[in-house]
Amino acid sequence: MSHDALSRSLTARGVQQAKWPAIWLVLLMACVWGFPYADGLLRIIEPDSSQVVYQRASLATLLVQHMLVVSAAAVITVVGGVLAAIVVTREWGRNFLPLVSQVASLGQTFPPVAVLALAVPALGFGTLPIIVALVLYGTLPIVRNTLGGLQDVDKEVKSASVAMGMTSWQTLRQVELPLAAPVILAGIRTSITINISTAAIGATVGASNLGDPIIAGIVNGNMAYIVQGALTIALLALTVDSLFERLQERLRSRLYTA
Amino acid sequence: MALLDALPSPQMAWRQWRPNSVLVVLLSVMLVALWLFDVVSVSPNRIVSGQGAGLVEAMGWLGALLVSGVTITLMLLSLQPGRQNYQVALVGVCLLLLLMPFGLIVASDRLVSSDMPQARLNMGMAYWLMLSLLLLCWIELRLRLALPRRWTVLMLLGVALVWWLCAMWALEALALGQEFRARNDEFWRALRQHITLVSVSVAISIGLGLSLAMLMRRYANFQKVAFGVLNFLQTIPSIALFGLMLGPLAWLAAQWPLLSRLGVSGIGWAPALLALVAYSLLPMVRNTYIALEQVSPETLEAARGMGMRNSQRFWQVRLPLALPVLLEGIRITSVQAIGLTAVAALIGAGGLGAFIFQGLGQAAMDMVLLGALPILILALIADAGLGALSDILRPKNTVRPGDAQ
Repeated sequence: MSHDALSRSLTARGVQQAKWPAIWLVLLMACVWGFPYADGLLRIIEPDSSQVVYQRASLATLLVQHMLVVSAAAVITVVGGVLAAIVVTREWGRNFLPLVSQVASLGQTFPPVAVLALAVPALGFGTLPIIVALVLYGTLPIVRNTLGGLQDVDKEVKSASVAMGMTSWQTLRQVELPLAAPVILAGIRTSITINISTAAIGATVGASNLGDPIIAGIVNGNMAYIVQGALTIALLALTVDSLFERLQERLRSRLYTA
Repeated sequence: MALLDALPSPQMAWRQWRPNSVLVVLLSVMLVALWLFDVVSVSPNRIVSGQGAGLVEAMGWLGALLVSGVTITLMLLSLQPGRQNYQVALVGVCLLLLLMPFGLIVASDRLVSSDMPQARLNMGMAYWLMLSLLLLCWIELRLRLALPRRWTVLMLLGVALVWWLCAMWALEALALGQEFRARNDEFWRALRQHITLVSVSVAISIGLGLSLAMLMRRYANFQKVAFGVLNFLQTIPSIALFGLMLGPLAWLAAQWPLLSRLGVSGIGWAPALLALVAYSLLPMVRNTYIALEQVSPETLEAARGMGMRNSQRFWQVRLPLALPVLLEGIRITSVQAIGLTAVAALIGAGGLGAFIFQGLGQAAMDMVLLGALPILILALIADAGLGALSDILRPKNTVRPGDAQ
């Protein structure tokens, strides 16, 4: 397939893919703004309860708080994970490579609930412990993929860039990172999507987010509350995931057409 | 290039001096933390927060110098790395790990007076840091010496045994131990529940996963739909999935009395088990599918050439060859299930998570630890044990497939 045809087919697929983030986003917004008026609908699930619409806080506020927690953790994991992976693949940091890749894979062995519980005595109740738990849980995919992406860059391409007179910093920025970008992005996507649903357990230690309606539902035996929290989180995860898919698609088409 | 390498170069002399910077960094951080932060803290009773004590206060000058001395010796060893030095360093790290509980005994002797029977000794920031940094050093040494996993698991179990004995017989004041003694029966029951829930759900998802993966290989359409559904299940947060089982199961139990006589109800083990299986299916099915697909067609062709029947080829060729990757899936699933079962405590399924959530409710952090630490240890044991098993089962001359996710 010629470059032209390839890029055309990629854009054609891109247009087809483009609708998914929009669809999920519309559904998410419908959930957030629609649930307060969906009394009748929710009553089908939970006919016996006096109250079926979660009213302690608006879903929109909870959604924003949920996204803030996940983004805070994401910023830390992405910056930390990518930096760590870059450091250990340089000549002077190579000593740390075995330990870092081992520890990164160990991170996902720690159950988030246990980490959350252990972080509470040190950090107190609230948002901080859940961020720590998410950071620990979300680091592995990013470190693993960044390491893989950087190590897969062809040795000859790197030698060529050195031969062209690029400094090691230039090689990293203009050759290695762009070539590894799709793989790194895939890692970030996995990490953030997992963390969106994991963040809900933060509600058990007083971090207020979309986990709140779920916990309230479990405590009061109210299925309608749980559905509101769960559906909103699932739709948020799907929206973000499909956005990342779009981003990957674009990155790939740019790499191929460049 | 080869010729160049063979020539002696003047830089060789200092190039050979390559300190293991990893160990040096880890050990220096440990040394600084030991002297800067509180090693232990003593609280008069269960609820009041403790009074911190530094290294010298807790262990006396003799103890402080002993610990620092061993650490500095380890640092000196890692300046000149080599196989022999690494082995000595490994022994040193194990020695420090073994000495740690004795440090607690000394501290409780010095700090907890006998007229305060309620007093509790808590491990401080420096103590936890030292423990985790020592474990990191240990991982590093294991990797450098290329020790097989099962050996090192055995070594760590030995260290854990010494810790356990010290905590049981010599450390009355340790907060975690007190919490444990107060809930001895409850703890073992919770541990049993936890392990039972995990193993039953993993067993069910192995069976279901294998059959689903086999169906997927036969019907391509089914594969798309099934992966779609399983992926969607994974986006629902685990606590919500547990919660969502409450309603339908309560309804089922109300409809069929037989079910409720079996113990099925909206809360308890039944919804927990269902949610655990639902959550475990995606990693299980994905790995089983990959495992069965990656067996090389040539091998299967050879088996056919030898006159094997279809079923023989599956049981005697495809499955054994797929086993290491399949075990990888079981490992991921089990570790995940161990963590998720903790959440199941929220819907009354019991298990170690009950301690976590009770402790969080009462702001009793020792109780939280009593739940969280064993969960962590269980997860690590499952991870290491199943990892070692798949290492053993892997045919000698095949490459380890990249972490199939």
